[in-house]
Amino acid sequence: MKKTWVIVGLVFPVILFICLCTGRYPIQPGHVAGLLLAPLGFENRFFVAPSDMMMIFWNVRVPRIILSIFVGAGISTAGAVFQALFRNPLAAPDILGVTAGSGFGAALAIMFLAPLAVVIQTSAFTFGITAVTLAYILASLSRDSSPSVLVISGIVISAIFQAGLSFIMYIANPYDQLAQIVFWTMGSFNTASWVKVRGTLPLLLPGILMIMIFSWRLNIMTQGEEDAESMGIHVVRWRIFYVLVSTLMVACSVSVVGNVAWIGLIVPHIARYLAGSEHRRLIPMTAILGGIFLMIMDTVARSVMLSEIPISIVTSMFGAPFLGYLVVSAGKARF
Amino acid sequence: MNLRLENISVGYGGTPVISHINLSVGAGRICALMGRNGSGKTTLLRCINGLLPFSEGRVTILGQDIKKLGRDKIAKMISVVPQVSFSPFSFSCLDMVLMAGAARIKAWSAPSKKEKQKAMDAMGETGINHMAGRPFNTLSGGERQLVMLARGLFQDTPIMLLDEPNSHLDFANQHKIMALMQRLARKRKMTVLVTLHDPNLTHYYCDDVILIHEGGVRAMGETGATLTNEVLSCVLGDNIECDMTKRGVFVVIPKQIPVNMNIR
Repeated sequence: MKKTWVIVGLVFPVILFICLCTGRYPIQPGHVAGLLLAPLGFENRFFVAPSDMMMIFWNVRVPRIILSIFVGAGISTAGAVFQALFRNPLAAPDILGVTAGSGFGAALAIMFLAPLAVVIQTSAFTFGITAVTLAYILASLSRDSSPSVLVISGIVISAIFQAGLSFIMYIANPYDQLAQIVFWTMGSFNTASWVKVRGTLPLLLPGILMIMIFSWRLNIMTQGEEDAESMGIHVVRWRIFYVLVSTLMVACSVSVVGNVAWIGLIVPHIARYLAGSEHRRLIPMTAILGGIFLMIMDTVARSVMLSEIPISIVTSMFGAPFLGYLVVSAGKARF
Repeated sequence: MNLRLENISVGYGGTPVISHINLSVGAGRICALMGRNGSGKTTLLRCINGLLPFSEGRVTILGQDIKKLGRDKIAKMISVVPQVSFSPFSFSCLDMVLMAGAARIKAWSAPSKKEKQKAMDAMGETGINHMAGRPFNTLSGGERQLVMLARGLFQDTPIMLLDEPNSHLDFANQHKIMALMQRLARKRKMTVLVTLHDPNLTHYYCDDVILIHEGGVRAMGETGATLTNEVLSCVLGDNIECDMTKRGVFVVIPKQIPVNMNIR
């Protein structure tokens, strides 16, 4: 078990370095080292970076990689939390409607409000949170407080917002608005900047840390509701806490980069193979793997073709077969 | 009295399953709760544990009104060994047992070394400490029941409720679990309330018995004196006969075999 952590700990900086080198504008490994050291005042005698390389590296590539790492870690952690709360290894963080809500919010902004990044993000974030709140209110009207009622409410609310999104797409101008909406629903990091990093990290970082700190209790949340209650946990209150933190993380990620398919479902699975189901170990592993995974996927998205590939296409294309491989090849199922 | 129910009426959606029940169980005693399917045994356990709001009456545990206690306070006094144990994710047995420490362990914390040792001791008492690292979901039904029992012991409460602990066990394991419960109740001075179907197990291992029938207590008291032919046939059906084996062991057997197929 210790060995796994050491390997993951070593893999992370190696992949980070490779991703820093790779792109439409490749930078040699030696130059990357020089570029990284330059702002710290270490002038490299052998290599002085040209200003355009400096600009691309520090203003485009670095913020984009940082954003992909934290969005990957945030969505994956939220996925692990939702799987625990709904006692279902197939639950994804958008199960309560956050993605559908955000998509509708973004489309609404593109169509009827100003197509400015700030407006789209604010609208997407607001509607993402609204969708989950509505799902919660709908579920609370039922006398049954079990998570399955919450899932059904989530499906209902998702369907409504999905219909709204489809309607907006139907009436949208196919030459600009529709393309923008479609691109948003498939997600992309191509607009990553330091402003976006500064806008998301204050929510993502505390969110991930918060889930890590309160990770042991997630073990108990996976047990039957009455079992958890008789072990001294106020299940309904703790569920609100975990859902709130996770939803904030997902809504904030999705509103900035658009929908990122699959990773909230698949990364916790990979983490479970490596670290086991105990959440004290699972959550940090999920966060690290989520960061690594999305960083790689985004590097693929921005490097393999002349134009950007939407991130959801890449994550689905690589993620889904990988999950299939894990399920088939695993000697003993970990879930 | 560790556990006292006064004039309790409880049910689902307005129709009472149980009405006006009074009962009490003392410390260091193991008490069986008997009754037919659907007679309200599990409902009563949920009500004692504060999980089911009751319309009328009062439940007091160690002199405190259950309605005034929070979940963590209740969990420090009552542990529950559930009927069916299944985990959607694969935890080790030790992790399963450790969960019952939730009421003592701070929300932002995890079990300390001391708690882990305590959990291992609890597993030792049920004879499964060699399974600590094994995945819970790969165990047999009987082994899982022992893990759930160890979890209840680790919770370290004066009152323990067991809901049909024998439902998945083979003949030998049924007796093993009951003998273990009897010994632990004496040793730890626990109040143990267990729902049972088998009158023989009740007779061999339980100090007291409460028989529930048609929403009320039909009979209650020390096992030997309470389990009479008349009471049993009222609660469990007409086709019941009490007998003694050649060795002088009390047995309850069907009067007529095969039994009348009028299943209730």
